Amino acid sequence: MTDQTRYLVVGSSHAAIEAIAAIRMHDPEGSLTLVTRDSHLPYSPTVLPYVVSGRSAPERVFLRSEEFFTAQHVAYRPGNALAKLDTQGNKAQLADGSEVHYEKLLLATGASPAIPPIPGIDTVPYHVLRTLDDALKLKAAIAGSRQAVVLGGGLVGMHAAENLVAAGAQVTVVEMQDQVLGGYFDACAADFIARAFVAHGANIVTGRRVVGLAPSAAGATIRLEGGDSIEADLLLVATGVKPELAYLAGSGVAVAQGICVDNAMRTNVANVWAAGDCAQAKDFYQDAITLNAILPDATEQGRIAGMAMAGDPGRRDYAGGVPLNTYHFFGQHAISVGSGVVPPGGVEQLRVDEANGRYLRAIFQDGRLLGIFGIGTFFDGGIMWQLILRRVDLSASMDRLVADPLATGREFMSRLWR
Amino acid sequence: MSAVLEKPKQKYIVCEGNEAAALAVALARPDMVSVYPITPQSSLVEHVAKLIADGRMDAEIVDAEGEHSVLSVLHGAALAGGRTYTATCGPGLAFMFEPYFRTSGMRLPIVMSIVTRDGITPQSVWGGHQDAMTVREVGWVQIYCESVQEVLDTTIMAFKIAEHHDVMLPVNICLDGNYLSYGASRITLPEQDEVDAFMGVKDVNWHAALDPLRPMAVDPLTGGATGKGPATFVRYRKGQCRGMQNALRVIAEVHDEFAQRFGRHYAPLLEEYAMEDAEFALMTLGSMSGAAKDAVDEARAAGRKVGIIKLKTFSPFPVAALVSALANVKALGVVDRSVGFRWNCGPMYQETLGALYRLGRHVPSASFIGGLAGADITVEHFHRVIEQTEALLHGPAPTEPIWINEHD
Amino acid sequence: MGRAQNTLAFDAAKCDGCNKCLQACAQAKTGTDDIARARLQVLPAAGSFELALCLQVLPAAGSFELALCRQCGDPKCVSVCPAGALGKDADSGVIAWDGSKCVDCLLCTVGCAYAGIALDGATGHVAKCDLCDGTPACTAACPTGALSYVTTARIYNEVGDWEDLFAPGLAGCQGCNTELLMRHTLRRVGPDTVLATPPGCVPGMGSVGYNGLAGTKVPVFHPLLTNTAAMLTGIKRQYKRKGREITALAIAGDGGASDVGFQSLSGAAERGEQILFMVVDNEGYMNTGMQRSSCTPYGAWTSTTPVGRESKGKTQDAKNMPLLMVNHRCAYVATASTAYMEDLYAKLDKAIEASQTGFAYLHVYSPCTTGWRFPTEKNMEVARKAVETNFVMLWEYTPAQGLQLTRPLDDPQPVTEYLKVMGRFRHLTQEQVQHIQAKVEENRAFVEQMAQQR
Repeated sequence: MTDQTRYLVVGSSHAAIEAIAAIRMHDPEGSLTLVTRDSHLPYSPTVLPYVVSGRSAPERVFLRSEEFFTAQHVAYRPGNALAKLDTQGNKAQLADGSEVHYEKLLLATGASPAIPPIPGIDTVPYHVLRTLDDALKLKAAIAGSRQAVVLGGGLVGMHAAENLVAAGAQVTVVEMQDQVLGGYFDACAADFIARAFVAHGANIVTGRRVVGLAPSAAGATIRLEGGDSIEADLLLVATGVKPELAYLAGSGVAVAQGICVDNAMRTNVANVWAAGDCAQAKDFYQDAITLNAILPDATEQGRIAGMAMAGDPGRRDYAGGVPLNTYHFFGQHAISVGSGVVPPGGVEQLRVDEANGRYLRAIFQDGRLLGIFGIGTFFDGGIMWQLILRRVDLSASMDRLVADPLATGREFMSRLWR
Repeated sequence: MSAVLEKPKQKYIVCEGNEAAALAVALARPDMVSVYPITPQSSLVEHVAKLIADGRMDAEIVDAEGEHSVLSVLHGAALAGGRTYTATCGPGLAFMFEPYFRTSGMRLPIVMSIVTRDGITPQSVWGGHQDAMTVREVGWVQIYCESVQEVLDTTIMAFKIAEHHDVMLPVNICLDGNYLSYGASRITLPEQDEVDAFMGVKDVNWHAALDPLRPMAVDPLTGGATGKGPATFVRYRKGQCRGMQNALRVIAEVHDEFAQRFGRHYAPLLEEYAMEDAEFALMTLGSMSGAAKDAVDEARAAGRKVGIIKLKTFSPFPVAALVSALANVKALGVVDRSVGFRWNCGPMYQETLGALYRLGRHVPSASFIGGLAGADITVEHFHRVIEQTEALLHGPAPTEPIWINEHD
Repeated sequence: MGRAQNTLAFDAAKCDGCNKCLQACAQAKTGTDDIARARLQVLPAAGSFELALCLQVLPAAGSFELALCRQCGDPKCVSVCPAGALGKDADSGVIAWDGSKCVDCLLCTVGCAYAGIALDGATGHVAKCDLCDGTPACTAACPTGALSYVTTARIYNEVGDWEDLFAPGLAGCQGCNTELLMRHTLRRVGPDTVLATPPGCVPGMGSVGYNGLAGTKVPVFHPLLTNTAAMLTGIKRQYKRKGREITALAIAGDGGASDVGFQSLSGAAERGEQILFMVVDNEGYMNTGMQRSSCTPYGAWTSTTPVGRESKGKTQDAKNMPLLMVNHRCAYVATASTAYMEDLYAKLDKAIEASQTGFAYLHVYSPCTTGWRFPTEKNMEVARKAVETNFVMLWEYTPAQGLQLTRPLDDPQPVTEYLKVMGRFRHLTQEQVQHIQAKVEENRAFVEQMAQQR
């Protein structure tokens, strides 16, 4: 049997639910179906470390209820993945064998853990953290762990490491780059953060690869480049994520690292859009499309895709992905907005207050803000994001912005877009 | 002439024309009357007010602050489905001209007596047809009465004519100020149930209504030179003209029906008096006709072949009936109670010239103007009119109007 | 779809940076005097910051701005929250923070471009304005009226639920507030209405329609410019006679009411006809090309009171129509302005009620973007300035209660604040301005004296 729907949305996280809101804003009546492989109500992958830590009760992390879908006239079909796409026939085949005939399709299927090709990895038990079920399993495992190894010093890995520390385990984070949190902070800031971990008893290993994994009595033996080995009763693989796009085989939808989309989140195939972590979209800083798998971008892309699908004339082009993140570790806050790369001719301003644990770094080019990064120094990330996107001329105010980013940012907000 | 079906119950009273009009209005059971006093109409609306105050007439009365509002109130009431009535004259009619013009365009079957009065200035407060004649081209049906009884009967008929679906136009019943308004005579008063049966079902806003149960825009903007405007405007205006022409037939039908039910027959459009073998004729309008008839009777007795064509319906102008009445006339004297400034003659004379063209042969004629501002046109005056008209059979026609009361 | 909600409004022109709002907020929300922790922040604005730094003085009034949660309709803080800790309440419109769900990730502060949600360093959590459950501490503490709590949402939501009885797409001039007035009034009065719109801007916008197409869903017509109240008299009385309740409503211009239509209006008012007569006063015959009416104020340019060598604008004062109507002892008389919708609505309700027993007269001042010569987006500002300078006074009258000011001013602005925002007064001489100011004072004294007679 084949279902008919005007809008088919695949996926159920931020990009998908933002797209649904955008579609419904313009078209309150058109039939809308949401299919997702997850059997839970919508939730954010970003909240999962807090489920692991116990900060978030797993039954209270859902972003939408069943009633939401009823009220929005959305046929909600969880636990059913997209298996194959027939873009010629505008048909989606689902894992349970059923078909959905769509007029407009949004692929918001997110990403899955990228498992590195380490010899022996398929011989040892390990955890990943991408789904609510992953989080619940990891939470249970942490309780009994004495000696844990986290592969990958990104946000997921560092969050988990902190949770393990809190649970009383001996933790080692292994990161093959020279610093942790490479995508968001520079070496100086990363060192700042890494030192906090070390101070709390964690072991941070950077600049070294894992060359082999083998089963052991405890669980797994992790062999590092250069000969050392670490025993682990709990191994977490947190070496990044990548879109899982097997369902696109033969569909004609162009894929690079993710699904290639234009500034309206349209793929190369008629009637098919993509948004969120599975989409490879315009980068703000360069004339290229990149994967920018972060939450604020997913909502932005989902909104644009939804508006485009519904024909909302208010739609604006995607401004381009800007790296954005916030990070909370051992009671301290870190915020990262924009690119950390200092381009030729760029200006870097750095303010470090070791005694008070404060760090601020800002990068400008031609008086325009490219990125700003703070630890223990609060500023309004949303305002900084706008200063970057609007390419506001801050030539006369760069010093002031670094000296007092909160007040200076708000002043520009008031002046320019309040 | 129709046969009388049965002899209805009769009730006789003696009253003036204004009271007769008021009694007729009561019998016609309007929903609303709106009033403002003016000489010589005042006693008419006083009678109406008293009838309502005494509970002898069930109608809403609005004592408006002027004639302009009087007619406007009735516009609203008619669009809300009410049967409506008022009366005015002279300066009052002039003041209500703005809504007056609009009444026929909205096809509102309002009945209004004009207790005719001469136009000011020269200042005067007395009768004359100048007021009604001045607005003869505004799309109202205008019917003139000769006697008090005719005032009563025609006022009842006026509602039925106005509300006829083929007409849907406002009707003026013109009764001569002073001579009919204050002239008392014995009249027969019809019974209410007879009038009710005669009037039939009231249905006055089937075509255009201001009713929340039937919402519509009444009189949206039209005309102009683009889009549907020109054709829409023509459709409305042409409909008014067709309604006027339909009125000629309906007036006759209603008079016929009235005669059958009440036993009193009036020539609906024009009356031919002593016209069977008339060589020459007079034309009269309104109350002057009584004196004219007396004079003609005497002239006939003296062997003069003179007759009278008395117009009752002045608007629409009964061209065909007049052409027929003039078929054998060789000279014509038209007596007006008002003036036509542009043609230097009486208005009825001017209109008659048009009918004479339709006749297709030349008829020597003269315009007589008399009875202005309350002046009387006596039998003696009419003898002179007869003489001067008869002279047209042999001599030249005057190029100027003959002013009847000029040397009184 | 979208609902209106009550909100905080900030008028920079009135803010002198006293920080009392911040103190009140800090006390209400943190129990401390630490204004840095207040959930709104007053900032020097628009270039004044650098200037103030250079001169070492405080910025002057009118140069402050606000960082405050706007309780957005489509809040990005909510959409970027991974924990479901932020949500917009459908009724109050408040974006509420649920501390039991929050994971302190600060992503909301990245989502918000207005600094409406920020880290409270003392708690380690984000904090934001919650409008104090409808009784904001900050507005209560504001001594200048710069911060106010606008509670008109109820009106818009209620009215939004009623049927719009006008056709879509009325053809008004850009920026005209009359369409707002027409739509709101008719929604409020409802379908059991007969609507009279005499010649002027209202039918000019298409209220009656063109060539057989109607402009409203209620029975509607053009009366003559002269006979609106008389026609409505006939309509209302006829329905009363038939035992049917309808509202006889006029939406008329000032010319049709104060000049050629005054006789029928006065007559109907004297007779106590059960009519709701609304005058949309744009102080002239704007629909026919901006000619003078008796409601045109002294000194104003119109196309028949032009500015030339011998004379400059109208040489007489305006006729005060609403006071004339008070002297008819109508069942209800009020003045209103679209800049004060809450006040207007309260009066509309009273006028509707009064029109079921007698004559109700509502005089609404309606700035004309085209004829008064001001930018199309300034309509509400012009309307507001008229009231703030006492050029227009808002009051209501009933025979039982007498005349009462509904928006008395303690400290009216000079009338020049009103005159200067539009082109029709641009030519005024100093003497003419003085004349207008004196007239405003005289009128104020007269109205206040009437108000005190109870």
